[in-house]
Amino acid sequence: MDAFAKLPEEINHLVSEFSSAPVVGDLTVGLTQYSFWLLVAAVVFAVVIFAFVKKQTLVPKGVFVNGVEYLIEYVENDVAKGVVGTGWRRHFPFLAAIFLFILVNNFIGLIPGMKPGTGAIGCTAALALVTFVYFVYYGCKKHGVLGYIKSLAPQGVMFPMNVFVWVIEVFSLLLRPITLAIRLFCNMFAGHIVMGSFSIMAALFAEPLLEHFSAMNAVGALPSVAWLIILLIIYAVELIVAFVQAYVFTVLAAVYIQIAESDEE
Amino acid sequence: MKFANRVPRALASAALAMLAAPAPAFAEESAGGASILIPNMAEFIPALIAFLIIFVVLAKFAWPSVLTMMDERSKRIEDSLAEADDARAKATEKRKQAEQIVADARRQASDIVLEARKDAEAERSRIIAAAHDEAAGIIARAHENVEEERRAVYASSSATIANLAVQVATKIIGDRLSDDEQRNLIERYVNEAGSLNG
Repeated sequence: MDAFAKLPEEINHLVSEFSSAPVVGDLTVGLTQYSFWLLVAAVVFAVVIFAFVKKQTLVPKGVFVNGVEYLIEYVENDVAKGVVGTGWRRHFPFLAAIFLFILVNNFIGLIPGMKPGTGAIGCTAALALVTFVYFVYYGCKKHGVLGYIKSLAPQGVMFPMNVFVWVIEVFSLLLRPITLAIRLFCNMFAGHIVMGSFSIMAALFAEPLLEHFSAMNAVGALPSVAWLIILLIIYAVELIVAFVQAYVFTVLAAVYIQIAESDEE
Repeated sequence: MKFANRVPRALASAALAMLAAPAPAFAEESAGGASILIPNMAEFIPALIAFLIIFVVLAKFAWPSVLTMMDERSKRIEDSLAEADDARAKATEKRKQAEQIVADARRQASDIVLEARKDAEAERSRIIAAAHDEAAGIIARAHENVEEERRAVYASSSATIANLAVQVATKIIGDRLSDDEQRNLIERYVNEAGSLNG
């Protein structure tokens, strides 16, 4: 079929559209479409939170206040208290900020015509780096720099095995920000590529019908309906993925903080 | 013609892409392969700065008040629950006291009723005894009166009968007996007759 013949070219075109392109300056100094939408998401996030702070009352009223409070309580109970434990209050601002920041970015990206700030590796790498610095800082604060470096090796392991394990742990530590960044980026990027692919397929199959209305073209356009239905299902799944990825990133950050501050590795 | 073909295709693509996926809003720059995993400074630096600003600003101006409000709410709820428990305990205590009071009152009322019944019974017995006594007295007095009446009637009738008998006897045997003898005879007769009646 003609539509299938055009598909590889269209998919390549789609992927190229999802690649970072500068809107201001160049790729070294400037803004890409992703960083632009990330800044938009940051402004939206700040506005939402300050509007919530202004409207928050002892007895929460309204969908907006209750909705935001539900998310904040979710971070407080399921992530901060649930994972970090007793010192949750000290880390709540970071965990809440990173969860909601990623969540707003992911949802902004799901609005047609916009892009997720988390759909570019540069943005997710920045968040991962901040997380890395944050938990290493608190690990060093708790144990001292040398104590934290030593704490990476598990206690009770005999020499020279402990050195070997320590080297593995250091690698594991250094891989954490990389995995955080790539996981979030790949999920968002791949999800949008899949949605884009199905939208292209729906368009390709419907194209002859839109060009010339005939019974043959109408029959040929029927698969477009199936692609559209799949597209809508994937869109619904992506709404869940947007939430889950924010949650996963935040929970892992909380786990790393908890490990860094724990008395035993 | 070529342009006419392109327009619907472009419209269809744009509409469907807008419906489900973010369409390219900006100029594209092709890249592929592993290069997409290399962070661009144009994305890394703005994201880093934006997040750090958001993090610091919210940590200073938003989260403390949010947490304070939520803590205050939790505290209020805990206090309210504690107060409710306290009030419930007090209410239970009061109810027990009230039940105790009611039970005491019922017992006292029962005692009072019992006492009243005893008193009433005693009074009834006393009244009945007094009535019996009074009735017995009345009956005794009635008997006495009747006896006196009987005696008076008897005395009166015996005299009358004696006189009548004397007169009758006098008419029958008037000359043979003196008056005294006749009287003695009659009285003896009457006495005999009385002893027979009595």
